[in-house]
Amino acid sequence: MDTTLLQQMLLGALLGISVYLPLRCGQLSLATPGFYAIGGTVAALLSTRIPALGGDGVSYPISSVLLEMALAAMVTGILALGIGKVVLRLRGIYLAISTIALVEILRVVSLNLSFTGGAIGIFGIPQPFASPEGYVGFTSLLLAVVCWLCDRLERTRPGLAMAAIREDELAAASQGINTANTKLLAFVLSALVAGVTGVIAAHFLNSWNARMGNFDASITTLAFVVFGGTRTWLGPVIGGLVLTALPELLRPVGDLRLIVYGLVILMGPVLFPQGVITPERLSRWSRMLRQRLRLEAPTP
Amino acid sequence: MAPRRLQRLGPWLALLAAGLGLTACSDPSANQPINLAQGVPVGAVLALTGNANVYGQDQRTGLNLALAAINGSGGINGKPMALRLEDGGSDEPAANAAFTLQINRGVLALVGPTLSQQAFSADPIAQRRGVPVVAPSNTATGIPQIGHFISRVSAQSSVIAPLSIGKALALQPSIKRAAVFFAQDDAYSTAETVIFQKALTAKGLKPVTVQRTQLNDQDFQNQITAALQQKPDLIVLSLQAMDGGNLIRQLRELGYTGMIVVGNGMNTPNIYPICQRYCDGILIAQAYSPELATPANRAFLKAFQANQGGASATPPQLTAQAFTALQVVGEALKRLDAKTPLTTLTVAQARTALMAEILKGQYQTPLGTINFTPEGEVIQKQFFVAQVKMNPDGRAGRFALLP
Repeated sequence: MDTTLLQQMLLGALLGISVYLPLRCGQLSLATPGFYAIGGTVAALLSTRIPALGGDGVSYPISSVLLEMALAAMVTGILALGIGKVVLRLRGIYLAISTIALVEILRVVSLNLSFTGGAIGIFGIPQPFASPEGYVGFTSLLLAVVCWLCDRLERTRPGLAMAAIREDELAAASQGINTANTKLLAFVLSALVAGVTGVIAAHFLNSWNARMGNFDASITTLAFVVFGGTRTWLGPVIGGLVLTALPELLRPVGDLRLIVYGLVILMGPVLFPQGVITPERLSRWSRMLRQRLRLEAPTP
Repeated sequence: MAPRRLQRLGPWLALLAAGLGLTACSDPSANQPINLAQGVPVGAVLALTGNANVYGQDQRTGLNLALAAINGSGGINGKPMALRLEDGGSDEPAANAAFTLQINRGVLALVGPTLSQQAFSADPIAQRRGVPVVAPSNTATGIPQIGHFISRVSAQSSVIAPLSIGKALALQPSIKRAAVFFAQDDAYSTAETVIFQKALTAKGLKPVTVQRTQLNDQDFQNQITAALQQKPDLIVLSLQAMDGGNLIRQLRELGYTGMIVVGNGMNTPNIYPICQRYCDGILIAQAYSPELATPANRAFLKAFQANQGGASATPPQLTAQAFTALQVVGEALKRLDAKTPLTTLTVAQARTALMAEILKGQYQTPLGTINFTPEGEVIQKQFFVAQVKMNPDGRAGRFALLP
């Protein structure tokens, strides 16, 4: 497998988690590509317009990338907080529609602002790593941290509150859970993950333009979660990895590859309505694995 | 407690390990000798899927004809050229993935990608890894400036686009009011419309209205109605084939009868099925003329007609440019191999030497005699303007060159 593809898979997994976080609260938000585009734009602007961030000029310093990530997180976080307060009053399909509108507004604004380069966008984004291997190492680390945080979240009070809201919002509220704040937390976390992912993607893709965050991207990232499963963080990660890799791995099939890709996306929810990864399936697999290990272990 | 904890950490530790493990084992080295087992490896990345596939199909024909021509006349000094074609889709990530795949396979040069927008993203990858790129269809400003390894055989739109405006005025000197359309979310379209608008203003025809569309739009009634209220007698479009074809159709259906000038994005016979009989009469500047009476063009024309539907078929510009791009790579490889046999070079050495050879040469191509600036920009002598003539059935037509 080549490293460029691996890097795209890791970015896919991060975007999958970003869509998954509000869904864990039962909120279908399609705003991820919007925040992803903001993160990328922040990185592209800072790295191409501010010479002081460029360091010695040979390679772009990692510290500047971390600074961009912090700034992108701040911008997306504040925006998500403001927008979330308003749109999270909507539910179900209405929330989905309003978040699609947000993505479209951000795209059209970016197309019409002169400093974001219009349709051509911003190109010649400097490279912090000489090879894709560097990107893979950096992104794996970020994904591991995000996964660990999700794992912690799922086991602590806010995460359990999110699950309670997903199961029954009214019942959760009657148990003293502040549903509005919990949903807002999930929405903001989702925006942070998407924004930070956008920063890496902008450097990795060399150029950044308004088409990076469009309606197609909303649907693709949603497919990661629907395919992988919405019950645990491992679902969107697996969904993002597999569905990003599939069109490339299917290249030997030739012209049929996108048809096969579509069939896989279609068959996923048909065969696994809860997604490929569910907590039940995970514990069954780990039981099977343990049994096999016990069988293979030499008896004392 | 400890085993439980470990079990919990398990999945993401495994993920990290898998990531790092894959990282360690995938470094294809450019310091190996060239793998000539299948022939001299050359790669191409074209848009065969997505909305730019209408261009990729024309380009694929050109590459196949060029490959047959090169291998039919002895290949690269006796060794056949092995061309690997990959789909670069119509967006940046797909083009990047295809470029990387080809470079990892050890190709000595790349032809592609189809869209300028993709080139801004994928070309830096080739530049960093030192792989020569000959672009067959990127016309936006700034492509060869991406780096030393990037060159193109497609003349940039600032050279070609104004010609068709001049021709429209020559055909109909009474033109007074020009309307302009462009897709505001497309790099090619926004770059070309600036050139068109400058050319119009230079001729004293400041556009009476500028209408913005989106690349994936199907319905243009709002923009057309707004434009027609200004009573234009010339309409200038910088649109790609799909949206442009639909817009022309709707323009005519809504009663516009004046002159239409279109940009390079509609420079393909694949617009015929989209705007059908309404395509008739539109003006397009050309970097290629089927009527060019040079041995190189006659041979290309003959091969095209033998391969694609009969003696009356004329090759599209995109086909001729793709043919030219691969021809340039083939001739440069021949000269390089004659100087230093490819068997004695590593992949990296061959790529660097090949780039120098590409820029040095002069080429007798279907586009006429071409060579390159030291930066990699094409120097081409002749350009033309064509008018689309549709057959009465509205199914097929041709690009008729205007004198």
